[in-house]
Amino acid sequence: MILYENRKELLLNAIKWGNNPFKKFVSTGEIKEDLDLVNSRIDLIKKIKELVKNEANFILPIIGDVGSGKTHLFWALRNSLYYYNTIYISLEYVYKKLFSNIYSEFIENLEMEPLKFIVNQLCDKWGALERKFGFFHVVDIKKVQKYAFEQLLNKYNEVEPETLKDVINGITLHQLDPYKKIEAERWLLGELMDTKELSTLNLTHDLRKGKNAYLMLRLLVENSKSGTILFIDDFGKIISIMSPQSEQTEEVFDPSWLYGTEVSPNDIATDKIFNKIIQLQNIEGLRIIITLKSKESLVEIRKKYSEKNPELLSSLREPFYLSEFKEEDVYELYNSTMSKFYESIDHTKFSKAFQNPYYPLNKQTLKYVFERAEGNPRAIIKLLIKIFNEIIYSNESIDVILKEYENTNT
Amino acid sequence: MLIMSNTENIIIYDSVKGINLEGEFQGSIITRCKDENDSIIFSDNVKISDSEGIFINNGLRVGFELNYDKKIAFSRKIVAQWYEDFESIEYSILISEDLMQVYDEGQFSDAFPYTLNKLNTAALYLDDYEYGINHLEFFREEMLRNPVSLVGNGVILADRVVIDERIDPVFYDCLIVGRDENGDLLVSFEPYMNVKKSLTDVKYIIILGIEELKL
Repeated sequence: MILYENRKELLLNAIKWGNNPFKKFVSTGEIKEDLDLVNSRIDLIKKIKELVKNEANFILPIIGDVGSGKTHLFWALRNSLYYYNTIYISLEYVYKKLFSNIYSEFIENLEMEPLKFIVNQLCDKWGALERKFGFFHVVDIKKVQKYAFEQLLNKYNEVEPETLKDVINGITLHQLDPYKKIEAERWLLGELMDTKELSTLNLTHDLRKGKNAYLMLRLLVENSKSGTILFIDDFGKIISIMSPQSEQTEEVFDPSWLYGTEVSPNDIATDKIFNKIIQLQNIEGLRIIITLKSKESLVEIRKKYSEKNPELLSSLREPFYLSEFKEEDVYELYNSTMSKFYESIDHTKFSKAFQNPYYPLNKQTLKYVFERAEGNPRAIIKLLIKIFNEIIYSNESIDVILKEYENTNT
Repeated sequence: MLIMSNTENIIIYDSVKGINLEGEFQGSIITRCKDENDSIIFSDNVKISDSEGIFINNGLRVGFELNYDKKIAFSRKIVAQWYEDFESIEYSILISEDLMQVYDEGQFSDAFPYTLNKLNTAALYLDDYEYGINHLEFFREEMLRNPVSLVGNGVILADRVVIDERIDPVFYDCLIVGRDENGDLLVSFEPYMNVKKSLTDVKYIIILGIEELKL
C-alpha cells in the first residue's frame, strides 16, 4: 500500500498552529536579519562595497521612504562586509551619549580578542614591548605612559590632557599590570565604574564620559587592521530637531528665558549632534553611511555643512537611492521567506513540493499585494502578515480567503 | 656586514663546529661561556672579527661566583666587553625574530597574573658537590618569573617556572638552546617543559631579579 502524504494539508496545518512566515515587518539594528536583499537591490550593495573598498573616509547618504528597507540594508551590508567592523546606531533612539553608545556598539561588534590585540599593538608602539638585553621585557609603566602621552598629545592636540591620561592609563594598565588587569578590562569594555574602582586605576572617568569614549573609539578604529563602517540610521532626526515646532503646541515654558532669543534649545541640540558627527569624520578609516527619508533632508544637511564646516562638504558623497520594490521583487521576497520558514519547521522539501510555486498563496494574490502596497517593502510585508493571519485564524477555506485578495480594484 | 631582524636562527660562533661569522649582529643573542661556572650572556648585539675577537655591548651575564665559602648567583650588566680569546666562548647564537615573537606572546600571557617576581637575582638550585644550593622545597607549588637554567647541554630561558608537588621544576614558555646527537646547535620554543631533577642533569636554575634587569 502506498501511503500518500498530503503536503499541502501538512503545510497549512503547520501554519494554522500559529506559525506566520512573515512575523516581523520592521527591521531593527538589534535583531540580526539573515534575509538577503532582493535582486533589484544587489547593484546598490555592489556600489557601496566598491566605495568602502576604495575610500577610507566618507559620509554616504542613502535616501529611501519610510519602510523602504533602510535598516534591512544595514544587515545586508553587514553580512556582505563581514570582514569590516560594522556599527549600527539609530539617531531616532540614541542622540544623547552618542560617543558612549557608538563605543559600546563597536566593542560588541569587535569582540575581546581583537580588542586585546589592538591595545597590545598600541602598547608596543609606545615602547612597552622593548626587549632589554635582547630578551627581557622590563615593564616600566610610568615610562611607557609618559612616552604615550607625548605621542598622543602631538597627534590629537585638540584632546584635553585629562582625557589622554585616562585613556593611556586604561590601556597600559590592562596590558602591563597583571594585578589591575581585570578592572582595566572592565573599563575598556565600557562598563560603569564607581569612583573607588576608578581611583584604583588612577582614572578620572569611565567610558560613559563622551570625550573618553570618543578618544578610545578613535584609537581603536585607527589602529584596527580591518576598516570600520558606522551606519547611522534615521539621520534626518537632526533635521526634525532643527525644524520649527508646530505653532499649535502649547508652550508652558519659554526657552528664550534660558537660551535667549537668538538660539533655541533645539538649535543647541542639533549643533551638539552635528559637531559630534564632524568629530567622527576626523577618525581615519571610519566610513559613515547615513539614512535619510528625503532629498530635502540632504539639502538641509549640505546647508548645515556649508555653514559649520565647508571643508568637510567634499567628504559628503552623492546619495544612493533605495527605490520601491518591483513586481518581481515581491515574488522573490515571498519565496526566500518561505524557504527560511520551511527550514525553520524542518520541511525544506516543501520548497519544490507544489505545482504552484507560491503555495499557499498564488501569483495573483502577490500581484495584488504589490499593487496595493505600491511597492513599499514594509507595506508589502504588512499585507502578507495580514493574509497569513487570516489563514491561521479563519475557518474559511484558503480559496475563499484568497478570493478577497485577487482583485486590485476592490 | 650588519644583520638585523632575521627570520632564521643564525649560529654566529660555535667552537665545536668551527663556525665563525664575521660581522655585526643585532637581535636576541645567547652566548654561552666556557668558564667553570657555565655562565651565559644575553645581549641584543654581538660584533665578531677574526683579529679582535667577540665584542658585546650592553649585555647581561648570568652565572655563579665564589664568595668566600659560598657560591652566589649573579646577573651583571656588561657595558662594553671584548672577548679577545675565542677560547672563553663556546657558542653565540642569534634567535630568529619569529621565534622571539612566539616567546613574547608567552611573556604577555595573562593566564598567570600572580607570579612571584624576585627583586634581586638569586639561585634556586645549584648542582655542586661542595657548594650545592637547593631552595626548591621552599618554593614548592609557587611560580617564579624569569628563570634561567642549564640542563645537561642545554640552556633554558623561560617566562616562569613552577615547582610542582614533587619538587620538580616545570618551565613555561621557554626558549631552549642545545646540541643534538651530532653536536649541532638547535633552538626551540616549548610552551611547557617538565624537568625531572632525579633523571636529568640540572646544573643550575637562577631566578633573574627584576631590579637588576632594569639597570
